[in-house]
Amino acid sequence: MDRRQFLKVTGASAATLAVTGMNPLAALAAREQTSGGQAAAQASAKQAAQQGPLAFVVTRGGKPEKNYAAALKALGGISKFVTRGDVVVVKPNIGWDRTPAQAATTDPTLVGAVVKSCYDGGAKKVKVFDYPCNDPRRTYVRSGIAEAAKAAGAEVSFIDDRKFRRVDMKGTVLKTWPVYAEALDCDRLINVPIAKHHGSARLTMCLKNWMGVIGDPRGRLHQDFDHSLADLGRFFRPSLSVLDATRILTAYGPQGGDTKDVRTLNTLVVGTDEVAIDSYGATFFGMKGAQLGYLVQAARLGVGQVDLTKVRHSVIDVA
Amino acid sequence: MANVRRISQIVFILLFFYLLVQTQYQGRDEIGYPVRLFLDLDPLFAGLLLLSSFSFKPILLLSLITVGVSLILGRFFCGWVCPFGTLHNAARELARRPRKLEHGLYARTQAWKYAVLVGVVVSGVFSMSVLGVMDPLSLTVRSISLGIGPSLELIVRAAFDGLYAHGPGWLTAASEPAYNFLKDHVLAFSQPRFLQGAFVGLIFIGLLALNAAKSRFWCRYVCPLGALLGVLSKPALLRLGLVGQCDRCGKCVLSCPTGASPALADGWRKAECIYCWNCVEACPTNALAFTFATPRAKDGRVDLSRRNFVWSLGAGLVAVPLVRVSPSLSRPNPRLIRPPGARPEKEFLERCVKCSECMRVCLTNGLQPTLAEAGLEGMWSPMLVPRIGYCEYSCTLCGQVCPTGAIEKLDLDTKRKTVIGLAFIDKNRCLPHAMNVNCAVCEEQCPTPKKAIVFKDTESVDANGNKFTLKLPYVVPELCIGCGICENKCPVVDEPAIYVTNLNESRSPSRSLLLAPKSTP
Repeated sequence: MDRRQFLKVTGASAATLAVTGMNPLAALAAREQTSGGQAAAQASAKQAAQQGPLAFVVTRGGKPEKNYAAALKALGGISKFVTRGDVVVVKPNIGWDRTPAQAATTDPTLVGAVVKSCYDGGAKKVKVFDYPCNDPRRTYVRSGIAEAAKAAGAEVSFIDDRKFRRVDMKGTVLKTWPVYAEALDCDRLINVPIAKHHGSARLTMCLKNWMGVIGDPRGRLHQDFDHSLADLGRFFRPSLSVLDATRILTAYGPQGGDTKDVRTLNTLVVGTDEVAIDSYGATFFGMKGAQLGYLVQAARLGVGQVDLTKVRHSVIDVA
Repeated sequence: MANVRRISQIVFILLFFYLLVQTQYQGRDEIGYPVRLFLDLDPLFAGLLLLSSFSFKPILLLSLITVGVSLILGRFFCGWVCPFGTLHNAARELARRPRKLEHGLYARTQAWKYAVLVGVVVSGVFSMSVLGVMDPLSLTVRSISLGIGPSLELIVRAAFDGLYAHGPGWLTAASEPAYNFLKDHVLAFSQPRFLQGAFVGLIFIGLLALNAAKSRFWCRYVCPLGALLGVLSKPALLRLGLVGQCDRCGKCVLSCPTGASPALADGWRKAECIYCWNCVEACPTNALAFTFATPRAKDGRVDLSRRNFVWSLGAGLVAVPLVRVSPSLSRPNPRLIRPPGARPEKEFLERCVKCSECMRVCLTNGLQPTLAEAGLEGMWSPMLVPRIGYCEYSCTLCGQVCPTGAIEKLDLDTKRKTVIGLAFIDKNRCLPHAMNVNCAVCEEQCPTPKKAIVFKDTESVDANGNKFTLKLPYVVPELCIGCGICENKCPVVDEPAIYVTNLNESRSPSRSLLLAPKSTP
């Protein structure tokens, strides 16, 4: 480390400390965190007994933005996940040329709310993109996500082939692989997947959503979802994950197309342990996390906790 | 006045290129202003569509403007509007060959174009395929969309990519915003690539290069539209007249690009004149002027001898059966997958004018020009090549831009149910079937709400003796619409393990596969 770097690092940490320390919002968020903690305690005495922070909260009953706001409150506010001056990548699922009602893509109002919260937390820039399966121009429009994210101030861009960088993912099956540079070079990653049925992975939620920031030949991952999705989960460490279960697709995923297969749950699972979040998400489909091979493998790699009895979480009903 | 004409040409060619750029997905299901506008102005398309299929599209009424203008102002369209004509002007300037007096004088060989006109009209009554190849507007749209445009894009992209990869930071900081602007407003969404691009582009360049031999070579000798407008110009009122003292310097003749003999002693040829005003401008004594006057029969002569007329009539009659002498109608190439909304093959070929609008607008670049797949009659007509691009489930753009209705405009619901082919799994190459490895890409990508590719779960044992569930994909023929996304995305990237053929396509009931399709769950 040369002198310049040293000054940079110490300066930046000092600034961060000063900003968060003096920020009245952060103090407010801290207070709310206690009340959120109380709600969690009421929800489950057994979990309250456990030590450690909340792995995730489940908020349900409200519109996506309200559910999200409630979840953030319970988790201690956005300042826990975004610091002033951050460049944040918000990664929704914009994979398919479908409308929000068909539940193949993340709810656009939720994406908008997440982008807005990042700016509330002082983010310098919020980027939104995905590497879709269908024509990107159509998926960005039809999902409603481009419009909602732009309205919230995000920089929405299409994947630029030149911006993939081959990196060593050090995975069990994923060794070196092209990864989208903007997902590597940002300060914070926020994962905003939708919970859906999937023909071969059975369900697609947080871990599977990372397939949208890696390059081709990503179709190969289908040969061994269990190991490759666990590898993705270990490589990408988001500061926050927001599993969208506003509407879930229960059959013919990941694309669906028939609204008869869509169920409206008005629920979000928000937190930091993606394995636990996915494990909880599985219950929406009448499954257990342990039934999903990739979650078991991810837990084995230490990405997170698949056994929900071992993580602190709370369920909040939003009026 | 010649400068007014130049401005008109610049305006129209800019409009032409603007519309060409607009001929792509603009963020809405309905397309705004396709370059079809220029094709709609073409009276050959409108007239022959009427003659050959007794059908008419109201939009083709636009071509009456061209007819009306020609009846009054002669071949004004050729000199002032036609984009190919304007490119000829540019080529003539670039060629900078010393001008010869005889090039400005009428030659009988210029009547060839009337023979071409008779040929394409006669053949056009049966099929517009020959016309499509020869029509200047179709030719220009096709050549630029498939060949010239993509090659220019390659240059632009290579330049910016080079800067991005190797340029210094300050330069990239300037070049990237410029590149992004171009990508947003001028370039295609991704680099277009076409199978016949080089072929079509070279023909175009060759035709323009003929300006080095004689200016406006195409317009003089070949152009069937120019010939038609020449015939229509008979009653035109705008005529070249002598209004001053001619000192026989010959500058008017030297300046004439089309051999219309503007020196009046030789007899001005109205049917050759494109009203470019060069001669009027060149005259040192201001002796020439265009004035409105009653037309004279002598001006509007068309030198097509009876013998040549009969020859071209015969050629036109023979042309269609000749290009149809191919079993491709009764035994179509299995890989000839037509876009959704394409009429039954015979009707489709009768209408397709090979303008390539559908290929240009195709989201995935999957629509490609044929070479021999549809017989000679169908050369350069659109064919879906799933390995290059699939048919996007909720897109109807190709039918929206087709000028002659060869591809019908479908509403979204009909489009999603229109079958263009059927997928087949090559079990010798498919990972689960041949290699005992789970895959599932095709199933995941299949866009129909009830998947047309489903799994049969089987118990399997891997090479180490471990039991696992092997998901074997199979195709449900009642549900497959042949969009080709499975073939496009199949991870067996050379010869795909799943591929689409045109069997089962809705437009030919005789080629359906199943006796009684089962109702699906």
